[in-house]
Amino acid sequence: MSAEFEPNVVAFLCNWCSYAGADLAGTSRTHYPPNLNVIRVMCSGRVNPLFVVNALQQGADGVLVSGCHPGDCHYMEGNFYARRRFTLLRELLEYVGVEPGRFNMSWVSASEGAKWKDVVGEVTQKAKEAGPFKQFRRDKINW
Amino acid sequence: MVDVEKLKEIARETVSRDDVKYLIGWRQGTYGFRTAPHFVGTPEEADNLIFSPLCSHNLATYLTLVEKLPVPRGQDPDSRKVALLVKGCDSRAVVQQLIEQGIGRDSVFVIGCPCRGVVDLKKVEAKFPGMREKVSATWGNGTIIFNLPNGNVEVPRQEVLAGKCLTCRYPNPLLSDLNFGEEVAVWGSDDYADVKNLEAGSPQERWSFWEEKFASCMRCYSCRNVCPMCYCEDCVLDRLNPQWVMRSVNTAENTAFHLARAFHLAGRCIECGECERVCPVDIPIMKLNRKLSKEVREKYAFEPGLDPESKPLQASYRPDDKEDFIL
Repeated sequence: MSAEFEPNVVAFLCNWCSYAGADLAGTSRTHYPPNLNVIRVMCSGRVNPLFVVNALQQGADGVLVSGCHPGDCHYMEGNFYARRRFTLLRELLEYVGVEPGRFNMSWVSASEGAKWKDVVGEVTQKAKEAGPFKQFRRDKINW
Repeated sequence: MVDVEKLKEIARETVSRDDVKYLIGWRQGTYGFRTAPHFVGTPEEADNLIFSPLCSHNLATYLTLVEKLPVPRGQDPDSRKVALLVKGCDSRAVVQQLIEQGIGRDSVFVIGCPCRGVVDLKKVEAKFPGMREKVSATWGNGTIIFNLPNGNVEVPRQEVLAGKCLTCRYPNPLLSDLNFGEEVAVWGSDDYADVKNLEAGSPQERWSFWEEKFASCMRCYSCRNVCPMCYCEDCVLDRLNPQWVMRSVNTAENTAFHLARAFHLAGRCIECGECERVCPVDIPIMKLNRKLSKEVREKYAFEPGLDPESKPLQASYRPDDKEDFIL
């Protein structure tokens, strides 16, 4: 058993800003924690709240949803809808007893490779502090 | 006072109209304090209608539950209206269905019944255990009068009213084509005290509270089926591909189910309390729904089911919505 707990973080990145931002961080050879599992979606507004619940069920210790800054959405308004949706989902998850640091949201544009690094650092740190997620993890996966 | 004879008269007139298919109201149940939904198709059937503190069903559910059969070729679809008796909370369900275009305004004829609170059957049956004879009830002055076989018993309202009625802010129907009875003065106010109590604990305390409740869930889906706002023809919980919620009954899947169900009602729940009433294992489902109602009210100053002209919460946005938690 290693001494330190390494969390599993699932990140839903929008194709047009955050994914490009993460790509920029990569091509700029920025170092950031390797705990992230990136899932590319076309828009943060495409992320169904059930994705987040399902990620937590299937082994994630933290979830990040990241999209374009408000007003910059490639589809004009997708991230505005996402913002309302995930503000409410975050409240609901905390209410049933998920630690506050587990679910995060961020706005990262395609040019913000440096911000991406900070966001990943913070999200990983929060998930690490919260510890392994066990509230409603699925016992058997893929059965 | 409630004049049931007048209600029957209104029902007879309504059902006799050419543009009304049937009327949905309440009737005495088979035993005890039970009541049941009553579908009035002919003027004679109106004789069984009642309206009393025992009429806790939200009949707005039946507007969307009805099966839409294909119309045979050469025939016109039945465009007649469904007449519906609504209390204050039920009328909000109708309004919310109109907002979401789940039903059309032309397809429903709403008869508003101002309501002074309905009873919680569990509280009543604890007070009068083992009652098998049919019992009726009426509203008294700050009390509810039960007509038991061995005489009338008057009980203070606070002791038997359903939780949602104690904090009710909309006892009068917000939408009606026809009003039956006098308007009722608003008695309640809602400060979400039950939600705040639970919020005050630590995440571990909250989870241990919900874990116990969710573990007892047997996934009968009654709460979904009875909900007037749950009317998707293709429910995400029934889907097998993708299957977001596994069918196995365990705490993890039950939690996912309850989160999905509650979240699908975010900004839509009109707090009629039907989910909690029908739950066979007494899960405080309204505590989940009311948490979201509270957040919606605080963050977006929005309440569902009030104005038929408004837009659904999650299908609209404001550029200056709060985003204090976003990195």
